[in-house]
Amino acid sequence: MVMEETNTKVPSPIGENKIRLDAREKVTGAALFADDIQFGSGLLHARVKRSPHPHARIISIDTSKAKALPGVKAVVTGEDYPGYIGLYLLDRHIFCRDKVRYVGDPVAGVAAKSEQIAEKALQLIEVEYEVLEPVLDPEAGVSPEAPLLHPNLEEYEVANFIFPEPGTNISNHFKIRKGDVESVWDECEALVERKYHIPHIQHVPIEPHVAIAKVDETGEVTLWGSSQSPFAQRNLIAKCLGISQSDMRVIAPYVGGGFGSKAGVSMEALAVVIASQVKGRPVKLLLTREEEFYTAFVRQGLVAYFKMGCDADGRLLAMENKFFWDAGAYTEYGVNITRASGYSSSGPYEVPNVKTDSYCVYTNHPVGGPMRGFGMPEMHAGLEQCIDELARDIDMDPVEFRRINCLKTGSVLVTGSKMHPIGLTQCLEKAADAIGWGSKAPPSAPNKKRGKGIALMWKAPAMPPNAGSSAWVELAEDGTLTVGVGGQDIGQGAFTVAAQMAAAALGVPYEWVRIATPVDTLYSPYEWQTVASRLTWSMGNAVVNAAKDARRQILDLVAEAWEEDPQNLDIVNGIVVSYKSEREMPLKDIAIYGLPKPDDQGWLGGPVRGRGNFMPSYITGLDPETGQGERAVVHYTTGAQAVELEVDLDTGRVEILRGVSAFDVGRAINPELVEAQMEGGFVQGMSSALFESMQLKDGVMQNPSFVDYRIATSTDVPLDLENIIVEVPQDDGPWGARGVGEHSMVPTIPAIANAIYDAVGIRMEGPPFTAEKIYLAMLDAGIVK
Amino acid sequence: MAFHRITFNVNGELEQADVPSNMTLLKMLRENLALTGTKNGCAEGECGACTVLMNGEPVNSCLVLAVECDGAEIVTVEGLAHDERLDAVQQTIIDAGGVQCGFCTPGILISARALLDRNPQPSEEDIRIALVGNLCRCTGYVRIIQGVQEAARI
Amino acid sequence: MSIDAHPGLPEFDYIKPTTLKEASDFLIAHAGEARPLMGGTDIFVRMRSGGWNDKYLVDVKCLEGMNDISYDPHKGLSIGAAVNMNRVIASREVQDNYALLLQAASSVASYQLRTRATIVGNICNASPAGDTIGACILLGGVLHVHGNGGIRQEPIKTFFKGPGETLLRTGDIVTSIHFPVPEEGARGVYIKLGRNKASDLSIVGVTVFGYPDVNVPSGYRIRLALASVAPLPLVVDQVEAILTETSIDEDRLMLAAEAAMHACTPIDDVRASARYRKVMTRNLSFNALKVVWKDLKKL
Repeated sequence: MVMEETNTKVPSPIGENKIRLDAREKVTGAALFADDIQFGSGLLHARVKRSPHPHARIISIDTSKAKALPGVKAVVTGEDYPGYIGLYLLDRHIFCRDKVRYVGDPVAGVAAKSEQIAEKALQLIEVEYEVLEPVLDPEAGVSPEAPLLHPNLEEYEVANFIFPEPGTNISNHFKIRKGDVESVWDECEALVERKYHIPHIQHVPIEPHVAIAKVDETGEVTLWGSSQSPFAQRNLIAKCLGISQSDMRVIAPYVGGGFGSKAGVSMEALAVVIASQVKGRPVKLLLTREEEFYTAFVRQGLVAYFKMGCDADGRLLAMENKFFWDAGAYTEYGVNITRASGYSSSGPYEVPNVKTDSYCVYTNHPVGGPMRGFGMPEMHAGLEQCIDELARDIDMDPVEFRRINCLKTGSVLVTGSKMHPIGLTQCLEKAADAIGWGSKAPPSAPNKKRGKGIALMWKAPAMPPNAGSSAWVELAEDGTLTVGVGGQDIGQGAFTVAAQMAAAALGVPYEWVRIATPVDTLYSPYEWQTVASRLTWSMGNAVVNAAKDARRQILDLVAEAWEEDPQNLDIVNGIVVSYKSEREMPLKDIAIYGLPKPDDQGWLGGPVRGRGNFMPSYITGLDPETGQGERAVVHYTTGAQAVELEVDLDTGRVEILRGVSAFDVGRAINPELVEAQMEGGFVQGMSSALFESMQLKDGVMQNPSFVDYRIATSTDVPLDLENIIVEVPQDDGPWGARGVGEHSMVPTIPAIANAIYDAVGIRMEGPPFTAEKIYLAMLDAGIVK
Repeated sequence: MAFHRITFNVNGELEQADVPSNMTLLKMLRENLALTGTKNGCAEGECGACTVLMNGEPVNSCLVLAVECDGAEIVTVEGLAHDERLDAVQQTIIDAGGVQCGFCTPGILISARALLDRNPQPSEEDIRIALVGNLCRCTGYVRIIQGVQEAARI
Repeated sequence: MSIDAHPGLPEFDYIKPTTLKEASDFLIAHAGEARPLMGGTDIFVRMRSGGWNDKYLVDVKCLEGMNDISYDPHKGLSIGAAVNMNRVIASREVQDNYALLLQAASSVASYQLRTRATIVGNICNASPAGDTIGACILLGGVLHVHGNGGIRQEPIKTFFKGPGETLLRTGDIVTSIHFPVPEEGARGVYIKLGRNKASDLSIVGVTVFGYPDVNVPSGYRIRLALASVAPLPLVVDQVEAILTETSIDEDRLMLAAEAAMHACTPIDDVRASARYRKVMTRNLSFNALKVVWKDLKKL
């Protein structure tokens, strides 16, 4: 690791590589995941009857035989649940009512004494369909002739920054109109026009989705699940069912990998609705890996058109982008990916003239949802290749071209606002330096070609303007600290970072801090969702505020007891010290029972509990016609990746030899965890670049298992991964921190694509850059025989 | 469906159970014995999250019948530490930063332990190959491989 | 796998006979609803997918001789049907005398899967993608089968009838596989192309096995078998012919590789296109032939 020198002093343990809090329980098998919770013999097992058709009308559902099967406790269809559910656009029923819109759409659910009985019951449910013509391509989907998938789109409740076009399959149309692209094309020395197709991929957390629901006699719901979003699930499911959010409790133990797939609501509401028919009994719905592939959120497909031009000096003059998002059957979450890619559509560059149309298109494909990067990996995949091409077209080094055009502090963004202080140029230079840009080592064998590639990225947390966080800290008798958070540790280390922040802000050793787990909406403080790489920044601010609140309570109390000015007091290593009187007192003598009054007649203080929250207050809207506005997002994290690879001319296989990641994280609270995110993201990005695609044929996934949906294994990764932390502090981040969880897989596809071009001179329409695709492209280009 | 009475050893304890023919070792461990450290990730022997030692050799417990374990010796992730002391590879994987979400971790540790038992000085390539049946989506494997290398060193 | 794949295994009865005869008799008495169980790596996956619905699984792993592996410098190698691949790979005799078999077995899936997978199981699945089949054919492998009429022998080369179909009849239990002592100076290689570097099923698998033979003009007898590019494991006889007729050089090897390409009949599937498989058959055949030829020349 290479760390930027910083002058600002930070309190311990900020910036220290603390071992993650959950490590020991995770290596001993003690860590509880949702499917590990034991419910005893009262547990019922749910299975779901799903649509075999991508698009069909439900004529009838006969559940009578299933209901009569001994051991079956409940059979549920959409009939009794008319409500709509969704995060930004309420376009989904829990169980289908009139139509099915993708292969796997839930039609009926069963709870039974065993999985086997539930399965038998499913076979006894008879569903009659009238098959309808499907939409299987987003560009075809926007045509006026396309079958309409959601005819009542205009009736759907929608967030005020999403713009559906009723009467079409477009559920959001985001526009940028900045400057005037048409007037500058003629001035361009070089122009690049390209089309890219980015396939659907999936998150594939190793832990499949699971939810256990119990509804008691009074209607109070408890949901245990593998969840990035316990509070959003509480809110959305309660809203859909028309119950109070206070009657909906979500308990979320450790998450076995999320990457976005366990955000919002996907399958959890199914378990709740089934359980509501068997009051008092816990009902478990555990997706098989096959169901996971067919029915959990997917990363949307994208057809992207780019046109961009620069002058002879290499200055970008204009960009015109059209994005057709293949968003699937329901776009309740995906509509905001369309928006995020729109307001980031210039890439991390200052471009005076930009025209973008980003369309969220309903198709009869699996449901698009958030995935690590939230549209940015897909968009950057093409954009960063075009940048490379443009540089080569004017005979400029791609690194130099990027140095000229990339965003700097104060640059005017595509939305018209000004860039906050950033270190993107440093990231670019350090990544180029580390990969040895400009030098070329000979290939390892005569049948191989070697290449290097680089790509930049930017990404903002995509969320509602007022997504909030809260936290509490509570001291125990011995002065140790328990921190309550509503954000989730999905592997990124959020709990560890929260503990480090609480320790630093209060003044106790890190080892004294516990996190109150599992997250439980009944006891844990509110958190919008564990998404958008926002926890370190947003939840971190809430934790710091809570710790400061506790600190203030303690210091005020001690000041009063010692008759001193709180300004002269401090908490160091769990001991209250006075810099004036040089008195000291350990927190354990204060935390619960307070202190005697100075005259010893009575007591001061009481149990210490600090509270804090955080919500950005400065976000403004964007003009719906131009996409221009003062401040559309809270901040951007930027960075660069560079790779060196070899292409095997006999097979087309790519081997990544080295990878470099450099990101401006504002401040690394735990550099080791930051590096782990950079590394893991690089490999996930690499996996998506080389191996992954959901092969959809007539709406049916052809490779719904690990046998044929290949992801990177231990033999596919380079050990030579360098992670560079750049720190240009964020003004409203805790100690200047910004998130980096998602960003590390954003520039990987184009960095690899650019390196493949450098090696063998070919470009492909989109990933995955499989050995087959590369070889056949080389064959067609006459590079191999 | 027939039930079978089986006797076997799990993490050093003798156990007896009546299991139906179609119960997998994975299901028996998780449901009958509440040894939930062993995870179910794919149920077809591809992801490795359910890896346990059976008579000293790693197997995908989703592809072994419980009844086939009659007389067998099983070690799960819960059996790696002894008297509160972590196994070397548990500690080195923590130290190397090879744990993130933790769902693949138990299977990885079992595969790593088995490798070190049969080959105390594995090369980097040996480690990669020994772990190829354990999918991890978080870490990118690098720190896991380094953790196993370190365990071999000590 | 369909969307309706079962979360667990469907109901069946586990049967554990104590003798081969008992096992054969049970399989015959329950023809069509019973299946011998070895490692289960394939059976359980197919049962969970709903493809197979047998009422009985007959565990033959512990029957007499099934777990033995032995080598005799005159008679060759004998591997019991239940000997798992890791044991084969770890066997000193296999390492010393059947390196090709070791290499092919090592390419199968993952270590933990190979604790259960067996060579005989790989053969009996009769998948065109079976990694060890090419080696077993070229090494002259012969199966010993216990059936209704007693023990019989089935050479692997003629064992397959179609994808998933073999000469095995109801009640047959393969007890072991036998290999003769390889010819003096024999060399072999298995080159497998998957999507990942390791653990994947093959897109193309090329097995080459050769040895010096003074009775043919080239001085070498070299054979080649292909996986995943035909409905059955494919031995390309033209390769042997091309490489015996006249002295061998790189052009001659390419001619043989092209013969392999023309002989194969791959299909488009989810793993690769037929077009790619064809050219890969040529390229990898050439590479594999070159490796073996160079090894042989060193003798």
